[in-house]
Amino acid sequence: MSVPDYMQCAEDHQTLLVVVQPVGIVSEENFFRIYKRICSVSQLSMRDSQRALFIRYRHHYPPENNEWGDFQTHRKVVGLITITDCFSAKDWPQTFEKFHVQKEIYGSTLYDSRLFVFGLQGEVAEQPRPDVAFYPSYEDCDSVEKCIEDFIESLFIVLESKRLDRATDKSGDKIPLLCVPFEKKDFVGLDTDSRHYKKRCQGRMRKHVGDLCLQAGMLQDSLVHYHMSVELLRSVNDFLWLGAALEGLCSASVIYHYPGGTGGKTGARRLQGSSLPAEAANRHRPGAQEVLIDPGALTTNGINPDTSAEIGRAKNCLSPEDIIDKYKEAISYYSKYKNAGVIELEACVKAVRVLAIQKRSMEASEFLQNAVYINLRQLSEEEKIQRYSILSELYELIGFHRKSAFFKRVAAMQCVAPSISEPGWRACYKLLLETLPGYSLSLDPKDFNKGTHRGWAAVQMRLLHELVYASRRMGNPALSVRHLSFLLQTMLDFLSDQEKKDVTQSLENYTSKCPGTMELLTLPDGLMLPPVPFTKLPIVKHVKLLSLPTSLRPQKMKSLLGQNMSTKSPFIYSPIIAHNRGEEKNKKIDFQWVQGDVCEVQLMVYNPMPFELRVENMGLLTSGVEFEALPAALSLPAESGLYPVTLVGVPQTTGTITVNGYRTTVFGIFSDCLLDNLLGVKTSGSTVEVIPALPRLQISTSLPRSAHSLQPSSGDEISTNVSVQLYNGETQKLIITLENIGMEPLETLEVTSKILSTKEKLYGDFLSWKLEETLAQFPLQPGKVATLAVSIKAKLDFSCQENLLQDLSDDGLSVSGFPLSSPFRQVVRPRMESRPATASEGSKVGDLSHLKTLEAVLSFKYSGGPGHVEGYYRNLSLGLHVEVEPSVFFTRVSTLPATSTRQCHLLLDIFNSTEHELTVSARHNEELILHASECQRMAIQVDKFNFESVPESPGEKGQFASPKQLEEERQEARGLEINSKLDIHWRIPSLKRSGEASVEGLLNQLILEHLQLAPLQWDVLVGGQLCDCDAAAACPVGDPVRLEVRLTNQSPRSVGPFALTVVPFQDHQNGVRNYDLQDTVSFVGSSTFCLEAVQPSGQSACLGALLFLYTGDFFLHIRFQEDSRSKELPPSWFCLPSVHVRALEVQA
Amino acid sequence: MAVCIAVIAKENYPLYIRSTPMENELKFHYMVHTSLDVVDEKISAMGKALVDQRELYLGLLYPTEDYKVYGYVTNSKVKFVMVVDSSNTALRDNEIRSMFRKLHNSYTDVMCNPFYNPGDRIQSRVFDNMVTSMMIQVC
Repeated sequence: MSVPDYMQCAEDHQTLLVVVQPVGIVSEENFFRIYKRICSVSQLSMRDSQRALFIRYRHHYPPENNEWGDFQTHRKVVGLITITDCFSAKDWPQTFEKFHVQKEIYGSTLYDSRLFVFGLQGEVAEQPRPDVAFYPSYEDCDSVEKCIEDFIESLFIVLESKRLDRATDKSGDKIPLLCVPFEKKDFVGLDTDSRHYKKRCQGRMRKHVGDLCLQAGMLQDSLVHYHMSVELLRSVNDFLWLGAALEGLCSASVIYHYPGGTGGKTGARRLQGSSLPAEAANRHRPGAQEVLIDPGALTTNGINPDTSAEIGRAKNCLSPEDIIDKYKEAISYYSKYKNAGVIELEACVKAVRVLAIQKRSMEASEFLQNAVYINLRQLSEEEKIQRYSILSELYELIGFHRKSAFFKRVAAMQCVAPSISEPGWRACYKLLLETLPGYSLSLDPKDFNKGTHRGWAAVQMRLLHELVYASRRMGNPALSVRHLSFLLQTMLDFLSDQEKKDVTQSLENYTSKCPGTMELLTLPDGLMLPPVPFTKLPIVKHVKLLSLPTSLRPQKMKSLLGQNMSTKSPFIYSPIIAHNRGEEKNKKIDFQWVQGDVCEVQLMVYNPMPFELRVENMGLLTSGVEFEALPAALSLPAESGLYPVTLVGVPQTTGTITVNGYRTTVFGIFSDCLLDNLLGVKTSGSTVEVIPALPRLQISTSLPRSAHSLQPSSGDEISTNVSVQLYNGETQKLIITLENIGMEPLETLEVTSKILSTKEKLYGDFLSWKLEETLAQFPLQPGKVATLAVSIKAKLDFSCQENLLQDLSDDGLSVSGFPLSSPFRQVVRPRMESRPATASEGSKVGDLSHLKTLEAVLSFKYSGGPGHVEGYYRNLSLGLHVEVEPSVFFTRVSTLPATSTRQCHLLLDIFNSTEHELTVSARHNEELILHASECQRMAIQVDKFNFESVPESPGEKGQFASPKQLEEERQEARGLEINSKLDIHWRIPSLKRSGEASVEGLLNQLILEHLQLAPLQWDVLVGGQLCDCDAAAACPVGDPVRLEVRLTNQSPRSVGPFALTVVPFQDHQNGVRNYDLQDTVSFVGSSTFCLEAVQPSGQSACLGALLFLYTGDFFLHIRFQEDSRSKELPPSWFCLPSVHVRALEVQA
Repeated sequence: MAVCIAVIAKENYPLYIRSTPMENELKFHYMVHTSLDVVDEKISAMGKALVDQRELYLGLLYPTEDYKVYGYVTNSKVKFVMVVDSSNTALRDNEIRSMFRKLHNSYTDVMCNPFYNPGDRIQSRVFDNMVTSMMIQVC
């Protein structure tokens, strides 16, 4: 007895063993088809009695086990069914012979046998034989079950007769000694007549009868017999058989207590087989309470044949606790015999099954522990596997999952032990998979997302390694890749640096043959292996969707935005709405992406590996909008810190896009990592609106690009910067080329400018352009180019910020003095002479020569295509950096009255601050040539200005401005007017550059006053002829000449009365003036005139007459009487023109 | 004397496991892991008893050929498992008990550390030293 049957359970004690075997060549398929049909008849109720018979079928049974049939009758083969193919009558005798040979093997124990012949027809088949059944084919054999039932009945008859035969043995007869194979030699030469020997024979026989009773369905009888046997055998210390008797007692009790069965599958089969268990219970229970017979009352010598039905006793049956005690006892007896190892092992298994039903795991584990240590002879590898699997199964049965997993793993390892010539990797893999729950390991990476992994990392890692290895040897690289990537992903924290290297090395080896995918792998037995995305290679810490660069960022038209706001809520602010918006904001980001434009998402990634990590095909996973992800490849240094990675893509349609995650290829594994499943990832929202496509504008200019970037003042980001260097007053054309590099036509364009630095006072328009010509080329199709010309005029202050006023007051050539000579005649003084303080001047020049910068931003708002319809536009800014070099300075400004009261001379001291020769010209004036750093004076004759005619600054503005501002504005306007009249230009011939110069900044109140026409306008008429300038009025000698002085008051108040005296004189042109002219000029009437007071805008005139007695050139000096002149009025108001009269002979 | 000492969390994952370095570490992992079956069984059997009368010491979990595995469970269901060499017969039950009590006290100190996150692996140096002392104590 060497082969243990691990599937044994207590119920098997009541079964009859029937072996079903093929003879000759029978295909396995056909054999098992018949075998299955035979097995379905596993129990049968006997017609004449109420007993049931249970049959255990085996298709393979070692004959040496059969030898233990006397020890426990359920081990005895009592029936043989042989199945054979036979197609011709010629083969028949041979076949029949084989059947007999087969019968010989179990011959000693067989009660009956059957031969099923398939395929034979004809006269042979006609002959009726009791032990042979003929069937034409495997399909056509309806009566198989019937035949089996007949067979079982015949078995029952034999069994019943044996039982009765044994049970009625009288004490007088010599009872044979039953023994197990290894005992046979022990009893040689023993005294067969001793009392001790007889008792032993009796006890053993009693036990045998108990077995038979149990098999024959007489449970109560068997209990009685077992009890008696125990008594007998205990007294003679026949331990092996005592153990067997105790086990029999246990089995019978188990059958009584647990009609459902303890053997799992077999029990279930029995249950479904018929309603017998319930029936059996009914059968036993009524009698159970009835009578109680003292076992001692039974004679030890004889066995009452009628112990059956009536004396059914519950008392003979063991209680559940006793069953275990008795099992323990039996096993302890068995353990005394080395050769009974199999019996002991099987008893242990049976006991464990009983304990599992009783839910006494601790005790069961003790039995199992014991079973583990039962040392059988050298087991074959297959037996070892079987043994470990069954241990694992039993541990599972008692709820010891970890222990079960342990043994299953041992069994799996046994499948591929090096001593096995053909390792069963497939079986090993299957067994390993079954251990997963025991090690609380699931193969779904989602279960590992909940934080740091908590489990038996060392043990689990070992298991995963084994899975990887087994699946590889199985020849399923996809599986091993999946397991290995799972190992790497979930156990990363527990791997040492060396292990990380090894694992990735082998992973790369595997993936070179079979790349890892994101598909669900399904094993043949239905287990799903979910994909393993590498969310930790690299680890992503932060995900941020980036807005488009400023120049491409779409903006909503203001008006539309306003509408949107107003529709949302009537309130400007409400806490409830604000709250809601806050929630919304978490999801949606408040910028837009544009269809067709490259959009970016920034990830902060971290490489946890101790070596460089190459990540390929890193792209975005999105939903909501058709999105073309442009994958990137990156290489992260070992144990890198946070490393920014930008993933890009182009949305192809419009709508709301959600960035769900990213995709990578690492070590040949394709992973789709969803952000929802990532742990500890900070995102600032992942949903963005994609608006319809907009055109893209690219600008290039005629000016060089500048590295100098403008300081970002108002958040505007400038895409391009250009710089130019200009002389003060110079104008430069800037040609801006607008190219539509997008896919949509450019429909609208708006240009605005903003000057950034306001430190310098700027005169005139800095930037000016004409948009109409450009707009005429619109809409601009993709790829087309338009140009826009912008003129840059750098006109800064030309003054040198000297205290001009002071200079003016110093100047001898001043205001009120009566000019004796025309300024034209004045020699232009050399610089050296005119400016004594050259030293100070020089230093000042140094100051002034430093560059001034002007900065401005040109903004292009443009739109077009579908985005325009939706009300979006884009803003492109061009930064302009202008360095202004000083050109000329007006170091001093002064005025000289001209000969005419309506005109005056403006004297400008012009300083050339450049290093080149420079010419300056003004209107109606010759050019003035200035060498580098030369200062010269320029005199310009100008008509005086009637500033009152200049319209007052726009009324509305004036109302709100303070008087000071108003005054400034007025002054500015005056400066502008003067400047336009003067029209001063400079030119640098060597550089071929030219520009304007402006005096606006240096005109002060005093000069302005001088340049202004006085409000009192004096006109002197000689002989009805208006006298002004140098032109002499001709008049005849001897005739009185009418002299009229007219006053027009344009001041806002009344002036006068004035008294005027006319003083004639002659200028000898040599500095001598002759006032003594009583003889040559006489007045008709008084030489003094009186002017009435003149109301505002009134006019007044006074008349007199002169008589020239001689010919000659006379001048009239009209003087105010000292007292009459109103002191409060400025003297420039009383500037009367000098009168030059030429008295001529009257032509006859 | 002890060849392996383990602290197992309520959820049956190891908080701490140390074995004598020269031995096969994995073997002890397996041993402690499988012993949890017995611990679970004993706890569930004990569950019916009153809490205050509960004995924390679980006694011998199971003997193997070379080792004996002892168990101890705190009231918060944290388990201590100790593997001792079965050749070491001098070791009495009482000594095992006192070792467990020492282990429990040390564990309590670890839990009192405000910087220790319950459920994390125990990395306290003091605890480590204590375990080391229990492991090298010559029998």
